[in-house]
Amino acid sequence: MTEVAENPLLAGLGPRRTPSPCALAVFGASGDLTRRKIFPALYSLACRRLLPEQFAIVGVARRDWTDDEFRERMEHAVREFGRDDFDEGVWEWLSNATRYLSLDFADEEGEDRLAALLTELDEERGTRGNRVYYLAIPPQAMATVVEAVGKRRGAEGWTRLIVEKPFGQDLASARALTELISRYFTEEEVFRIDHYLGKETVQNMLALRFANGIFEPIWNRQFIDHVQITVAETLGSEGRAEYYEQAGAIRDIFQNHMLQLVALTAMEPPIDFTAESVRNEKVKVLKAIHTPGPKHIVRGQYGPGYIDGKEVPGYRQEEGVPPDSMTESYVAAKLFVDNWRWADTPFYVRTGKRLARRETTIAIQFQRAPHPPFEDAATEELKPNRLLVHVQPDEGVSLAIAAKVPGQGMRLRTVNMDFIYGGAFRTDLPEAYERLLLDAMLGDQTLFTRSDEVEEQWAIVDSIVAAWKRDRPSFPNYAAGTWGPAGAKELMRRDGREWLKH
Amino acid sequence: MSAAPVQAEDWVGEDVTPADVERALWQVRDASSQGTEGPDLRTSVMTHLAWVPAEWREAAVDTLAGLRERHPSRGILLFPEPAAVDGIDARVSVLAFPQEGGRRHVAAEVIQLTLRGQRVKAPASIVTPLLVTDLPVFLRWRGELPFGAPELEQMVGVCDRLVVDSREWKDPAGAYRELESLFEQTAVSDIAWRCTRPWRRALAGLWPGIAEAGELRITGGSSAEALLLVGWLRSRLGRTVELVHEASGQIESVAVDGTAVPFPREETASSSDLLSAELDELSRDEIYEEAVRAA
Repeated sequence: MTEVAENPLLAGLGPRRTPSPCALAVFGASGDLTRRKIFPALYSLACRRLLPEQFAIVGVARRDWTDDEFRERMEHAVREFGRDDFDEGVWEWLSNATRYLSLDFADEEGEDRLAALLTELDEERGTRGNRVYYLAIPPQAMATVVEAVGKRRGAEGWTRLIVEKPFGQDLASARALTELISRYFTEEEVFRIDHYLGKETVQNMLALRFANGIFEPIWNRQFIDHVQITVAETLGSEGRAEYYEQAGAIRDIFQNHMLQLVALTAMEPPIDFTAESVRNEKVKVLKAIHTPGPKHIVRGQYGPGYIDGKEVPGYRQEEGVPPDSMTESYVAAKLFVDNWRWADTPFYVRTGKRLARRETTIAIQFQRAPHPPFEDAATEELKPNRLLVHVQPDEGVSLAIAAKVPGQGMRLRTVNMDFIYGGAFRTDLPEAYERLLLDAMLGDQTLFTRSDEVEEQWAIVDSIVAAWKRDRPSFPNYAAGTWGPAGAKELMRRDGREWLKH
Repeated sequence: MSAAPVQAEDWVGEDVTPADVERALWQVRDASSQGTEGPDLRTSVMTHLAWVPAEWREAAVDTLAGLRERHPSRGILLFPEPAAVDGIDARVSVLAFPQEGGRRHVAAEVIQLTLRGQRVKAPASIVTPLLVTDLPVFLRWRGELPFGAPELEQMVGVCDRLVVDSREWKDPAGAYRELESLFEQTAVSDIAWRCTRPWRRALAGLWPGIAEAGELRITGGSSAEALLLVGWLRSRLGRTVELVHEASGQIESVAVDGTAVPFPREETASSSDLLSAELDELSRDEIYEEAVRAA
């Protein structure tokens, strides 16, 4: 029986998205992610009264801070990175719910102290034994914390484990981590974050495809010439050299965000919007992806150049990067999805740091009109129809269509029909972390990655990286502030196509 | 979009026709997009009509200002002045909100029409040419609803949703009986009803203990809110519930059969927030309609 059938007073009130009482323990509380994303997201949720009344946060890290020092730092973070105006009352509520615990993750005694503090908070704040553990920690610390938390999980209440990317380094390490986690937690308790899935416009891709009858009939190889996905950043390694040297563009962006965007673009309609149905369809796409060989993968590393008119160093000159680093800061690839819908339709994807502009775009290029009844001269400025999904910035959708140029004769030009998210709906789109934190507290896994999904992603990455061991490209091969190495252009040119112009 | 428009273009005309207003719209939109990469985007989700008698003018303009960023569609404010000489005066504004990087603007259009004399009697013929084609039309009617008057009949005929605030009515109990007659003609929203939502949710939290409720005691709030809350409870529970109400300001407390209902912890909403929430609703609200019938 549904909730409304049981309680007639709930009819018309809509679902309530406030989680049940719980305590959130953030491992890695002294890190950048906690400061820039997690706390500002918690503050925004508190502003909207979306956190439960009985709520507690415990920041866990090695730094020797007191509760008050931690609160003070988080207050600064909320003031600096929050999207809402600072409200003393809201902050006081959140601050009162916040504790800090200094411990070494490998220290058994320290982990016992955390368990004791959480139990104490159950009494003090009424969190009822419900726990959310947020692991915002480096990959090398993951196993230690999973084990420590798993061994101490209580019998009372529910438990959820949020795991930040990267989930492993390759297929073998991802499987090992999954195996370790599964010793203590069920798959329903594990929430692997890919924050791209929390973005409104990424979710809008599902609405665009499956709520509009006009797109799905033409969303296939018969009507689509190819798909281009761009995830471009203007930032460099930004003090994350230690991590980035291990990851490179392929593990930092391609393995997770990029493949998620491919999956959402290519997936079949799920039977419903439950976590299992959506993830089942995404996994089918990931299983069907293959690259046509090393010639169709381009990697690059940026040299010095200009961003926003300012001179910026090359990757090898960045702090903490070895001067002979062979880590790629750019990857472009041609992928195929081997199924009835997409056979022989290329998906060109590219991601990189220090590119000309920050943007994430999915471009669906349709086949040209088979026989336009116009003179060649009339159509020379005409491009094929293209549907552009702007994930960031300027979130929205554009459709390039042909239109007659006003005046005598028949001249055609391509014009854009734009839908801008901020123009049609409330402008303050929630941050991805707000949505994901709330979903995890509510136990909704739809926007989180399942273990088999992660493994399929790693299998694709492993197949690409295996070929890289055999050659040594000449790095750097593109200047900061450009659209990447010449090889990426060549990748498209060989197929008679070109990357989207910006 | 940022909080303020980068530029606002205005056109003012006296004794105009709807065709003059349409032409003016094109002109000011064109002017506002000078200097950007392309024409301003008019991302339209609806036409928002507002019927604003003189005493509500200031409040309506304030509410509209708070709405622009959330619903930057075409807003048409109608100011009736039945005692004046026949004619229509207009002010057309295009507010251009910059998108990230300032390369494009999203345009919000506001048309203010003062309907003088006999023009008050035929508002539908004036606004119909100005509606955005094929998009829903929301009509916010400020103040008392003049049931049976031609202006109300006509405007209900062009709108998909009528938005009222029964807190603005002197005798809500009497007006609810007449309001029922509009339910078959258009979807109706009531901002007073929206204000009761946190309390409805709090009362729903008492289920099943509340199933046999006999008395609802409300301290504070308007008569409209109290009537809607008790009407809702009566219609949902299918039983008689007595109302005891002391009117004043906001609702301070609610008790069922002498037991206090926990105070709801929800965001305080501004008048723009409340109207904005109503503008997001498109279908008929049958729960509200039943509450009105039982109020």
